[in-house]
Amino acid sequence: MTAILYIALRFISIVAGGIAAGTIGSLTGLGGATVLVPVLSLFYGIPIIYATGASLVSTIATSAGSASAYTREKITNVKIGIGLEIATTAGAIVGSLTAVYINNNNYSWLIYIIFGMVLLGSLIPTIQRGKYEEPLPRKADWSTKLFQLAGSYYDQRLKKRISYEGVRWWLAEIIMFFAGVISGLLGIGSGALKVLGMDWAMNLPMKVTTTTSNFMIGITAATGSSIYWYNGYIQVFIAAATALGVLIGSFIGAKILVKITNKNIRWIFFAILSFLGIEMLLRGLQKSTVLNITPLLETVVSILFAVVMIVALYFYTVKGGEKNAKGN
Amino acid sequence: MQKEIDLDLITSYILRSGVYISLFFIVFGTILLFVRNGGLNQTLSSISNFNNMNFNSKFIPLGGIPNGIVTLDGVYYIATGLWVLIFTPISVVFIAIIDFIKDKNRLYVAMSIIVLFNLFFAMLVIPRLT
Repeated sequence: MTAILYIALRFISIVAGGIAAGTIGSLTGLGGATVLVPVLSLFYGIPIIYATGASLVSTIATSAGSASAYTREKITNVKIGIGLEIATTAGAIVGSLTAVYINNNNYSWLIYIIFGMVLLGSLIPTIQRGKYEEPLPRKADWSTKLFQLAGSYYDQRLKKRISYEGVRWWLAEIIMFFAGVISGLLGIGSGALKVLGMDWAMNLPMKVTTTTSNFMIGITAATGSSIYWYNGYIQVFIAAATALGVLIGSFIGAKILVKITNKNIRWIFFAILSFLGIEMLLRGLQKSTVLNITPLLETVVSILFAVVMIVALYFYTVKGGEKNAKGN
Repeated sequence: MQKEIDLDLITSYILRSGVYISLFFIVFGTILLFVRNGGLNQTLSSISNFNNMNFNSKFIPLGGIPNGIVTLDGVYYIATGLWVLIFTPISVVFIAIIDFIKDKNRLYVAMSIIVLFNLFFAMLVIPRLT
């Protein structure tokens, strides 16, 4: 009886980890899986491949849940999304097979290092996102017409219909391929790269970009998940707990997000994320035996790095933004 | 215009119900695991031991799902939930194809088929290669 109680506690603690990850993921806009993988592997001692497998499946749940709301509001551009899915699904196949290769050859420390770098690298564009609501108009190119990239949506806040014309479809496809690879390799949605592909390359409005990216994440993750399944990287006990937890967490996050008036609170979460990113990096180096430090030192170094990085980014983004505003 | 509205609503509805159905199977499966102290001839403690590399999705034959559902096997219920989740976004691509066919948009019909090809390549072809 006590054994079952102990296992029930273990299940609940993973659900709790999922809730925390889902909440932070949706508050920062990076997605639950990006937080979940470090949490599971660093704090629960779950093998990284099971952590990425469980995250990949949980990603589908959150993506489908929120995509349901956005397609109803007609902000998501399903056409552009499916066109770009050609590249993300192909990338997901390459990424998941790479994960299989890495795991079969005991290079799993590489996953930690790549994860750490991707997490830290996606922080910067995520922090700077949302500075401008509408993109600067760009001249339509050949791909705009051929791939039918024009569209419009009704903006509730601005109370007007916003029209847009996507450009550089080919460039977005290339970026999406890498987004797919990262998704399959690390078990995350890689929303940051998908946003880069649509916002920067295709010049789509931020609302269309984020909602369409969210819609695409589910299809990309479904491709990776099935490869993960057949290779035994999905542990049903963990996946069941995280799917539940992350879904609840992203729901809570979305509710809190509407209520937060002081946007500076987000910086606390950005700090947590950079801490997790550096921890993953150090843990990977540790596992590869390049670096040999005690867990305590690892934590201290990570905290210091996280604080320095976030303070620097804060001054660069917030203060720099104020200066620009005054200049205008 | 009317037709587009319908398909967007159906997409939204399918996505949401997919999540609910899968959650039902996952939660019910988890309860079964605890009540019956395991599933798929494994004890609960070996299923919950995540350092156990001998129990994971590789050892859950999908063909066993119908029988597992009938015999109230928790592992198969969770597996069903997870696969419902995987198929949820895929079904949206099917709906999009219907929409593109109605619009006689050949380019996008072809592109959706490529996406589906990739998906099923990952599901059906790659498992047989490795």
